[in-house]
Amino acid sequence: MRLIPLLVVSLPLAAASPPTLLDILNDELQRNFSVLKQKADPPPYYMAYTVTEEDTQIISASLGTLTSNHTTHLRYLDVTIRVGNSKLDNYHVVNGQRARFTSGSVIPLDNVPDAIRQKVWLETDRTYRLAARRLIEIKSNAQSKLKQEDDSDDFSIEPPSVHEEPPPRPHFPDEQWIGLLRKWSAELSNTSGVLSSNIVLAVERETKYLVSTEGTRLLHGRTFTNISIAARGKASDGMDLTATQDFQSTDLDRLPNPDAIEAAVKRVGTDLAGLLRAPTVEPFIGPAILSGRAAGVFFHEIFGHRVEGHRQKDEAEGQTFTKAIGTAVLPDFLSVVFDPTRKTIESTDLNGTYSYDDEGIKAGPVTVVDNGILKTFLMSRSPIHGFDHSNGHGRRQPGAEVVSRQSNLIVESKKTVPEKRLREMLVAEIKRQHKPYGLYFEQVTGGYTLTQRRGLQAYTVIPLIVYRVYADGHPDELVRGADIVGTPLSSFAKILVTSDKLEVFNGYCGAESGQVPVSAVSPALLVSEIEIQKKDHSLDRPPLLSAPTEEK
Amino acid sequence: MSSRRQAAGGRWQATACTICGLLAAACILQPAACQVPEPPPEPDLLLRAMKDELHRSRDLRIISLDLPYFIEYRVADESNYSVNASLGALVASSQSTVRIPMVRVRVGDYAFDNTNHIYSEAYSGSRYDPDQLSLDSDYLGFRHALWLTTDRAYKTAEDAIARKRSSLKNMNQPDQIPDFSKVPAVQAVLPVQRHAVNESLWKDRVVKLSAIFDRFPLVLSSTIEMQISQATNYLVNSEGSVLRTPENLAHIRVLARGLTPDGTQVRDALVVQAFDAAGLPAEAELRRQVTEVADHVTALSQAPPGEAYDGPVLFEAAAAAQLFGQLLGDNLKITRKPIVDAGHNAPYVPSELENRVGSRILPDWMDVVDDPTQTEWRGHPLLGHYLYDIEAVSPTPLALIEKGTLKTFLLTRTPVLKSFDSSNGRARMTGSFGADAPGFGNLFVRATQTVPLPDLKKKLMELCRERSKPYGMLVRKLDYPSSASVDELRHLAQSSGNSRPTTLPLLVYRIYPDGREELVRSLRFRGLTTRSLKDIVAASDENYVFDFIDSNAVFALMGAGSFTTSASVIAPSLLFDELELEPVQEETPKPPIVPPPPLGGASTIGKQAAGGRQQETPRGIAVLPPAACSLQPAACPPAS
Repeated sequence: MRLIPLLVVSLPLAAASPPTLLDILNDELQRNFSVLKQKADPPPYYMAYTVTEEDTQIISASLGTLTSNHTTHLRYLDVTIRVGNSKLDNYHVVNGQRARFTSGSVIPLDNVPDAIRQKVWLETDRTYRLAARRLIEIKSNAQSKLKQEDDSDDFSIEPPSVHEEPPPRPHFPDEQWIGLLRKWSAELSNTSGVLSSNIVLAVERETKYLVSTEGTRLLHGRTFTNISIAARGKASDGMDLTATQDFQSTDLDRLPNPDAIEAAVKRVGTDLAGLLRAPTVEPFIGPAILSGRAAGVFFHEIFGHRVEGHRQKDEAEGQTFTKAIGTAVLPDFLSVVFDPTRKTIESTDLNGTYSYDDEGIKAGPVTVVDNGILKTFLMSRSPIHGFDHSNGHGRRQPGAEVVSRQSNLIVESKKTVPEKRLREMLVAEIKRQHKPYGLYFEQVTGGYTLTQRRGLQAYTVIPLIVYRVYADGHPDELVRGADIVGTPLSSFAKILVTSDKLEVFNGYCGAESGQVPVSAVSPALLVSEIEIQKKDHSLDRPPLLSAPTEEK
Repeated sequence: MSSRRQAAGGRWQATACTICGLLAAACILQPAACQVPEPPPEPDLLLRAMKDELHRSRDLRIISLDLPYFIEYRVADESNYSVNASLGALVASSQSTVRIPMVRVRVGDYAFDNTNHIYSEAYSGSRYDPDQLSLDSDYLGFRHALWLTTDRAYKTAEDAIARKRSSLKNMNQPDQIPDFSKVPAVQAVLPVQRHAVNESLWKDRVVKLSAIFDRFPLVLSSTIEMQISQATNYLVNSEGSVLRTPENLAHIRVLARGLTPDGTQVRDALVVQAFDAAGLPAEAELRRQVTEVADHVTALSQAPPGEAYDGPVLFEAAAAAQLFGQLLGDNLKITRKPIVDAGHNAPYVPSELENRVGSRILPDWMDVVDDPTQTEWRGHPLLGHYLYDIEAVSPTPLALIEKGTLKTFLLTRTPVLKSFDSSNGRARMTGSFGADAPGFGNLFVRATQTVPLPDLKKKLMELCRERSKPYGMLVRKLDYPSSASVDELRHLAQSSGNSRPTTLPLLVYRIYPDGREELVRSLRFRGLTTRSLKDIVAASDENYVFDFIDSNAVFALMGAGSFTTSASVIAPSLLFDELELEPVQEETPKPPIVPPPPLGGASTIGKQAAGGRQQETPRGIAVLPPAACSLQPAACPPAS
């Protein structure tokens, strides 16, 4: 009945001003929702359409030459349909199995209503079928299995968000930038032992559109620029070695000046050359300093992933902290805040910044640990025992379903000393423990952690640049081939003191809901004990012939 | 996605080839000259870098292991422009330039080397070589990348030959066939052919073409993609071959789907291709062909389902050529069965024709010749024309089937059968286990006894009358290359049992004694194999040229496969004495609950939309059946 008036009305309008994507999505949302509510069994109680528009340019250079220059501009559609009711719906997790309904299919870039509505309708139909089938499976499973420990609802009730603010158009790199990339990458080729190296500049503008049957109507997004410098080589024993540096900002104009980047390029070259000559580590337990960036990753892995809300009610998860609310989980001088609204720290733009999460919930700072005491979890709209509402941490990559994820993790410390003093304290600790040396973890490249019960509840972070620090005044010694190992709970108790300067690690975190941009910010940490193991390494020979550049 | 096609058109290139060939040879004789600061007259830095680094790679060795006896560098230097639109809206457009290197190192000797083993291409070490070469013309950059790629290829080869020896240790080897055949070296440096692509013109044209579907409410999903690919393929090997060949291809692909009232999916597809964008049909002709696809889907969504049929079948227009392209393409391309450890199965489907050389597989009045040397057929450019295959072997016309009897196969430098151990220049795509895959160029299906097409239809009706059939069957189009979704392909493969499946017919008609044609849907062939070809009873005197993009995907699935090449089949319409067709037995999903959104153009075609919609409200899922495996456990460990 309502199709015809819509059509008649939309035609003259289309001639005057073209409809916006939000309008087109909303029309199709209302049409599908009303028919499905009337005719479908089970009917949906909530529907949402999300479009993520990505406009990206990635340029890479190696050995003084351009190796790729690629631009992409695409729109991905994610359809959310919840059937059943908020108490039990198709998103209910059974035996650790999380269903995926959306496919992140590509929709037109032009706001041509017919073209977009046809794709949206097809995706809605496909998604509805999966949702309805899944609910039947969940209901029959619920009858045949024991009751789960946490019987919270599947979806929280939240007020709708209405906000339209398109992200600014960032500067995309011009010929001058390409020239700089060529120049810097040539610098790396002069380092002996570098087998492969590249400098990648990526500029991204991400625009998100969201409409829901609750009345949410959002247009927001972000811009981001990343420059990463990497060089790889192979030691004579076959060990593969990497040195990297990177910079991020919301725009090319906000990156450090070219001299600073060039210095970082040189640093990558000297780091790799140093690593190629460095001795390999022996297994070691003893005191160490983790630089602020290394500590950020350490917290992201061993702490951050364990306070993601959905893990607290998933029976397959290790649930390290599920029942720890109100108890001390970190030393009392440490607090951990997840703040997606924080844009910059120490003049570095943060990668985990957003104004609304992927369920349309307005973002705000969340103090997860206050003076060592666990206060809350990172929440999406999937409630858990004691926490009925989202705190704006439901996130995903297009094509995946939302779960609770980290944003900007910020470690705040009340027991700080200047960096110089921190080093003196490390030396004192080495002497106290009668160790020949301690360790300084300057750079790490990320890591991974297993949170599931069936796996070993451990974490690994992958150090890139590690020094032995000697108590006898003997200069620091770069070493290679170390992996940090440990189990989460025991690691926190060993933090003695922190530095007074925050450092930022920007990255992308991959988990159930795909890759999401995050930051981990921390001061450097002095730990009384850290364990390293020898890294498993390749035994294949370095290239048999010398590099063509070295042929004479 | 890199294609490795070798194709070029035109006589003028032959002249150029001689001149450049001499230049190339000159450079080979003076490798040292290529390294002095003042470059010698080899203007192509990539080619020069390939030659110089290959020359140096001859020193690769690890004491006590097998020495390399053959090294080959290939580089595909490719620019692509693609655009994709639906219902008058741009979905995506992209421009990319890539230079993809491929290095082959063979250790051992021609009789026994590292290839043709299940792990011939498995490398366990860390990789330093880049996927792509520099986009700048940087001599040392090219060499650096080739150096690392060669190092990895050599180490892979040493690992592979050791594994191969170990697999053979516990196995009886009845026939010792050499691993690689010798061919004469060729030198041909052909001119690079690049034309500026008018991106805005093509973007605009594709978007406009896609808007045609706005007038067809029964078409529930449609897309038009266009790609213009311009490539230069380089090859240099340790036997002295030096090749630079242009390889350009432009295509437009149209896909459209609809639903029948009972929820069955129907579809039609169209691909037009040419060596360059200028060779594609004019806009008016494209509009006509796209409209035809829309008409077909509209007709199919209202057509009755076909019934089981066993009797004479006429393949008309593209259908006969498509059938030969598929059946002979699949079965004349014989490949080597890789060696595996005793007790394991090799991933290998043997050809139906492997043991049938000397046997009659067609009527004795039919011949099949593959002739890549032909550039056109009666004014129609042939897309299967090429001067050198990807192994630098020049093809000559090849009589595959003479007077109905199978004579030979499409062969590469990898010997497959004892008596067919040398290449006939048919290596067209990169294959598996260190080998290249064969393919045909221009496949000519010729009949010495022919009748005019109308008589073929009369003959069909006569056969029906003799067997008291109420109607005969006419096939006008097969789904080849296939436009199926991955799920549809899976269903087809599962329901075919052990026999090699044949693609679905897209346009099948019943022909009644009065000449009336009735389109039917949802039929497929039963037991259609190369053995069915003996049942051909008559051929028309008109031929149809069918150009297509062949790939290493099953049914040459559109957009799939890691390598593609272009080919043509020229065939008459053919009447089969007896073939079986059966309804496609698939569970049809329930129709969509929400009707499709109205199309904006509906006001101009209000009657059609209203009429069509009320009587034929499409029901059923339109894109993917719900069988898609979308329930995934959250198994991935979180990681930064």
